Amino acid sequence: MTKNRIKEGIRLTALNIFFIVWCFIALIPILYAASVSLSGQNGLLSSEFSFIPKDFTLDNYKEVVFGENILTWFKNTFFLAVVTVSLSLLIAVPAAYCFSRRRFPGRKGILKCLVLLNSFPAILSMFAIYRLLRPMGLINHRLGLILVYTGTMAVFSLWNTKGYFDTIPTEIEEAAKIDGASDIQSVLMIVLPLAKPSIITTALQVLIYVWNEYIYATTFMTGENKYTLAAGLYSLQATEMRGSWPVFAAASITVSIPVLIIFFICQKYMTSGLTAGGVKE
Amino acid sequence: MKKHKRDVIISYGWSFPSLILIALMVVFPIFYTAYISLTNMNVYHWFDFAVVGLDNYFRALFVFDSGFLSALFATIVWTVVNMVLQLIIAFVLVSLLNIQKLKLRKIYKTLLMFPWAMPGYVSILLWKTGMFNTQFGLLNQWMKKLGYEAVRWLSNDISAFICCTVVNLWLALPFMIMIMDGAMQSIDRSYYESAILDGADWLKRTRYITIPAIAPIISPAVIITVFTTFKQFDVVYLLTQQAGAKTGSGFHTILTYTYENAFITNNYGYSSAISIIIFILLLVLSARYQMKEGDR
Amino acid sequence: MKRLLSIFLCICLLLSLSACGEQTLGAAQAKKLVIWHDKEDAVIAALEKYLTSATPDLEIVFEKKSSLTDSLKLVGNDPSAAPDMFIFAHDKIGVFAEMGILAPIKPLLEEDSLANYIPMTLDAATYKETLYQLPLYFETLLFMYNRRYMQKEEVPSTTDDLLTYMKNNTGRGRYGFVEQHSTAYYFAGWIHGFGGSIIDENGVPFPNAKAVKDALNYHSQFVALMPGETEYNTVNTLFLEGKADSTIGGPWMVSSARAAGIDLGIAPMPTVNATGKALAPYSGIQGIYVLNYAAKHKTEAVKKLLAALTDPAIGIDLAMASGCAPANSLCYDDERVAKDELVQSMKATAEIAVPMPNIPEMDVMWTVVGNLLTDVNMSGKDINESFDAALAQANQLIDAMK
Repeated sequence: MTKNRIKEGIRLTALNIFFIVWCFIALIPILYAASVSLSGQNGLLSSEFSFIPKDFTLDNYKEVVFGENILTWFKNTFFLAVVTVSLSLLIAVPAAYCFSRRRFPGRKGILKCLVLLNSFPAILSMFAIYRLLRPMGLINHRLGLILVYTGTMAVFSLWNTKGYFDTIPTEIEEAAKIDGASDIQSVLMIVLPLAKPSIITTALQVLIYVWNEYIYATTFMTGENKYTLAAGLYSLQATEMRGSWPVFAAASITVSIPVLIIFFICQKYMTSGLTAGGVKE
Repeated sequence: MKKHKRDVIISYGWSFPSLILIALMVVFPIFYTAYISLTNMNVYHWFDFAVVGLDNYFRALFVFDSGFLSALFATIVWTVVNMVLQLIIAFVLVSLLNIQKLKLRKIYKTLLMFPWAMPGYVSILLWKTGMFNTQFGLLNQWMKKLGYEAVRWLSNDISAFICCTVVNLWLALPFMIMIMDGAMQSIDRSYYESAILDGADWLKRTRYITIPAIAPIISPAVIITVFTTFKQFDVVYLLTQQAGAKTGSGFHTILTYTYENAFITNNYGYSSAISIIIFILLLVLSARYQMKEGDR
Repeated sequence: MKRLLSIFLCICLLLSLSACGEQTLGAAQAKKLVIWHDKEDAVIAALEKYLTSATPDLEIVFEKKSSLTDSLKLVGNDPSAAPDMFIFAHDKIGVFAEMGILAPIKPLLEEDSLANYIPMTLDAATYKETLYQLPLYFETLLFMYNRRYMQKEEVPSTTDDLLTYMKNNTGRGRYGFVEQHSTAYYFAGWIHGFGGSIIDENGVPFPNAKAVKDALNYHSQFVALMPGETEYNTVNTLFLEGKADSTIGGPWMVSSARAAGIDLGIAPMPTVNATGKALAPYSGIQGIYVLNYAAKHKTEAVKKLLAALTDPAIGIDLAMASGCAPANSLCYDDERVAKDELVQSMKATAEIAVPMPNIPEMDVMWTVVGNLLTDVNMSGKDINESFDAALAQANQLIDAMK
């Protein structure tokens, strides 16, 4: 018994060491940025680098938070992200459920087409989308960006949730229906809780897309006070690179932190209810 | 019969918002591009363009020369290498993360997501100047400390390919890890318990329980990733081919190649024709893949 | 869900209606000018400050747009999304003029107001005999050196001198001279020094093939003594860290060099021994463009603004604010401008500098020359073969533009 426990302890330590080393290696570029962002000198390209910042200072972060328009950009991004994620889920879940559970003419064809749509190199799509949004007055308007983001991610959202719904056994819903639950009830009460992992992964993917997208945001939005974080950061990088690497590094890290916090919180909900003794096939 | 009709309407009704947005933001641009490809829209006819028929397609055939073919080949190799590595690494990491007694799992997972939380161009810039730069990059600083010559990481085709692969994996792994993790969380623990009782080892459990259980869940995400990898532009372009910061590598994906040989001309008609041809090419490739899938 | 959808459709409808509503311009509208730019804050701050006092009755809004040219290609003539004017370098004139979104400048100006402009700047801003941009200031590359390492008498007057200096001072992580050697913008100076050019005014690429090949051939000796990296950051940092004794760089490097504590010297461009001509870099003229719609519907406001910008006072402000070399020669009579070493050397270089071609064909040449340079300098390919390939690519791309 004790021998087993020691063996297991060794294995766990090895596992922990493995992950610590892996994370360290994976994060080297980010540690690099972090070190630059905390150092007083302008040193991303300095020839003598160390992971411990020289002349430790928080000034760069101060400048990011108070100096640039980061707070406005953060507000814009946050608004866009919340609306886009909600809208994405709101339209993807019912559609995914229909495509997973119902059989209707055109279903297979549409599903197949949805995959194939990914083959289009979207480099030139900007022009078409501009032509589409302009008559609606949605250029330089948040709603325009929301529609673009939701639409672009809709294929993924629909597919990803549908794929997961397919794996949830139908018996549970059938049982619920026999008990008199309506379609909507059975989706809300049974399927959704079971599909939590996929809902959350979909939501996170949409969130990160919105968070990091800058091409539409810089082209369709005008004026620095309408920028998103990624767009603002891009303009910082494109025009003020002449000398503020530490500030840029600090800004990059600041932008990433909220996403990481959200991810950390979401993990709790990533486990499906299925493990807690659902129906076994 | 009547009920059936109602069912169909309900199904489409629920799916309508999703489908209409896809139609507007994804399908419409394809048709619009196809339309533009038939016109002479370019710098000289920006607003007063007219339909010129298939002219652009005839001219586009010149772009599909030996350079394009080798870029196409490189892109296929690139996609295969990236997908295989991505799936294997993500699978191993997620399997290890799901070992039950691992207490710090949440921290590790969050840290592994970090690359994903940064805008892509920021990460690529970090890699390019922070890691691969011949003068200041961390890699060469280490090489020097170890007493080796400085290496020009991005200037030769093969090492540029490897560097791009590393960066692409770095950017793409978090998503794959998250999807796989979500899928693995959904596997009923009791399967494993009974398998252990039956004396199945880890390999067997992986082979007979884990993979069959997660395959259908992750397949949509994997398929979409295959397409994004195939169409990868940012990583290759920003690392090695950016105008004014070229590194001398000849590694091109079809998109970076056509960008340099068509898109920069500001000729929308012509570029659109090329986009449509690439689209059809990819359709054919993926249709073949799907047929193979269907055979199984 | 259906309710959500109907709300959504209603919003779309309302927005499209409200977008159609504004057709006639109100008085306030006609006095509001939106100007896009992608310039440094110092430049815009100087402009804003000057304009609030010079044109108090106009409402002028500067909007920073980091993807300015791409956005303009999208919004073009559309008054609901496009700006009224924009500030950009002169090299895009051809593209936008051919697209048909630019208004000729001369009809919007008082007569003779351009009399004192440096001719080079006006030539650069003219496309097909029409002036499409009011020049504000110009930039050229300069030969800069670190006085701590390169003594005054060591400053090379010819390229051979430079090469000798490099041979004597390069090694062990130090460089005698660095530049973005495989970038078209920087290499253009060498091509000009050998009597060639990247493209002529009729859109013929490499009109003098021999000059380009000679330049490539001669320049490769320099490349061998420079780092294997051609991008901006590397070159910039090497010089700023004092690891490179000299460089060719833009005026934007000056403030960071001063901030980094470099004892900066600026010298005339060395001359090429084979031809006796100096390395003649490209010059870029930054100026203001007027879009058609604004020229037609906000004529008065635009005229007022342009008149204010032809005043030498703004040129002096800009020169003081960020070391720009004003396009109006009257500015150089100002005592402070006359004393500014940077501005004066830029003006001196402007005598030999070649304005970037402003024809649309130039757009593709950046990439073609970039490829040619990386092939020769970084991949070690044969000059003749690479040149032939580049010429073929240039012709193919130029054909493909039409």
